[in-house]
Amino acid sequence: MTERQPLRCDVLVIGGGAAGVAAAAELALAGLSVELAEQRDALGGAYHRQPAGRPTAVHARGRRQWSRLVDAFARAGIAPRLRHVFLGLDSDGLAMLDDRAEGRVLVVRPRALVIAVGAIERVLPRPGWQLPGVMTAGGLQMILKEGGSPPPGDILIAGNGPLTIALAADLARLGHPPVALIEAGDPFARPAAALRLAAYPGLVAEAAGHLARVFASPTPWLRGERLTAIEPRNGRLAATIRDRRGATRTLAADLIALHDGIRPNDFGLPANEESDIVVVRAGDCREALGIRAAIADGRHAARQVIALLTQGPSIADDDAVLRQRRAQAVLGDLFRPIDGADPLAALPDETILCRCEGRTFSELRAMLAEGELSPREIRLNGRFGMGLCQGRFCADNVLHLIAAARPGDPAEPPMRLARDRWPARPVSIAALAADDDEQRES
Amino acid sequence: MSGGHFLWGGKPITFETGESIAVAVAKAGVRDLSAGEGGLRRYFCGIGACQNCLVTIEGTLVEACLTPARDGLRVDAPEAGHD
Repeated sequence: MTERQPLRCDVLVIGGGAAGVAAAAELALAGLSVELAEQRDALGGAYHRQPAGRPTAVHARGRRQWSRLVDAFARAGIAPRLRHVFLGLDSDGLAMLDDRAEGRVLVVRPRALVIAVGAIERVLPRPGWQLPGVMTAGGLQMILKEGGSPPPGDILIAGNGPLTIALAADLARLGHPPVALIEAGDPFARPAAALRLAAYPGLVAEAAGHLARVFASPTPWLRGERLTAIEPRNGRLAATIRDRRGATRTLAADLIALHDGIRPNDFGLPANEESDIVVVRAGDCREALGIRAAIADGRHAARQVIALLTQGPSIADDDAVLRQRRAQAVLGDLFRPIDGADPLAALPDETILCRCEGRTFSELRAMLAEGELSPREIRLNGRFGMGLCQGRFCADNVLHLIAAARPGDPAEPPMRLARDRWPARPVSIAALAADDDEQRES
Repeated sequence: MSGGHFLWGGKPITFETGESIAVAVAKAGVRDLSAGEGGLRRYFCGIGACQNCLVTIEGTLVEACLTPARDGLRVDAPEAGHD
């Protein structure tokens, strides 16, 4: 299955979103030979996702800038390797790509690796969040961008942060306004943060556009409220909503989109310090700053790679990236949940923490009651962080609950719980992943 | 360039050009991708990160959200894929 002769290049870029494409174009412009691997059948990443070979019905902001970037990328002569999933970097500096179209593993020997695999969403565990019909807000947005229309049924959006407003606006534009938009924060109750947001007129204009669309739709924007539980009822989903005074009520829907922020998708990735070759992260997988920072951060990563390969002087931080870091801090304040209590503090026992293997909060609690287990023991014995997602959707929450159960202990970084070794994506080589598990457990 | 049909558990699902298995199945109103009651297979993140939407195509496990739909493809829930 594996090619004997590795493909050689100066730089291998993982990820065909804004950061990866920007990095690749910049590197090629500097005269380096570049390969780019993208897991899907089209460039664009999550933000500029569109169906291959067909125009999209949902237009993302900055589409023209993206088109110019793709043109520059094409002019640089880079043929993206589509449907190539990054499996990892071995100790000899060989990168493994799972070529899904050909069903083989492609081995690449680059001098440097740029990793631009984007962000994942934070989703707080709630009873029933594992039910069919419950997805992330970003997941629903992917269906709209790729499929042009939502799945059938009533949609409820709940969580925290500006992305939920953008999704509600997109649904309204497509003629399917959600039944409600539940927001833990209340930007109207944060005037100081709102004033600071004025320093970012682009963000204000975008938010105003989305909000105007939501306010013109029948969708209520319920601020200072939390979705605390979901249960199946009469073939639909019944969501319990708690308002800022603690009163609860039930809303029915067929689909529920959850979103509690974003974080870097930095699970199972090689680090520069531990690798034989230069490894640089770009875009949201380095720091989740969103689309406005991604292109600048990709170009910054390219300059950093060149500096590291040529032992040149280190590269200063990029102003556009620094500006988006400040903007994200303002947005964080603006959307800070009204209920300041820990949303995981009152989690019912039966709540699933690990979506991969269905492990519950009560199982974690039972382990914690046994005594001083390390995160590694909790991972190996409790199988938290051991599932196919490698802890992407449980590590933060499980570590938060461990810390809450042991006040005074130093906080553990999420990677202590996550599967921090390759293959970064185990599925397509199920046999190899199974061997890997057996070796670790024996 | 107008899409086609693939089989989800033997049932035909219509797709448009450029759609993944996951998007076509979701638009057809299918929410549970598990082989039986109480399974944990379903569409969730849409970006290949959560691995919840694994399906079987010709004996290989793949993320439905990353796999382009193709005319005539036989797609099954994972546990039912080896019969």
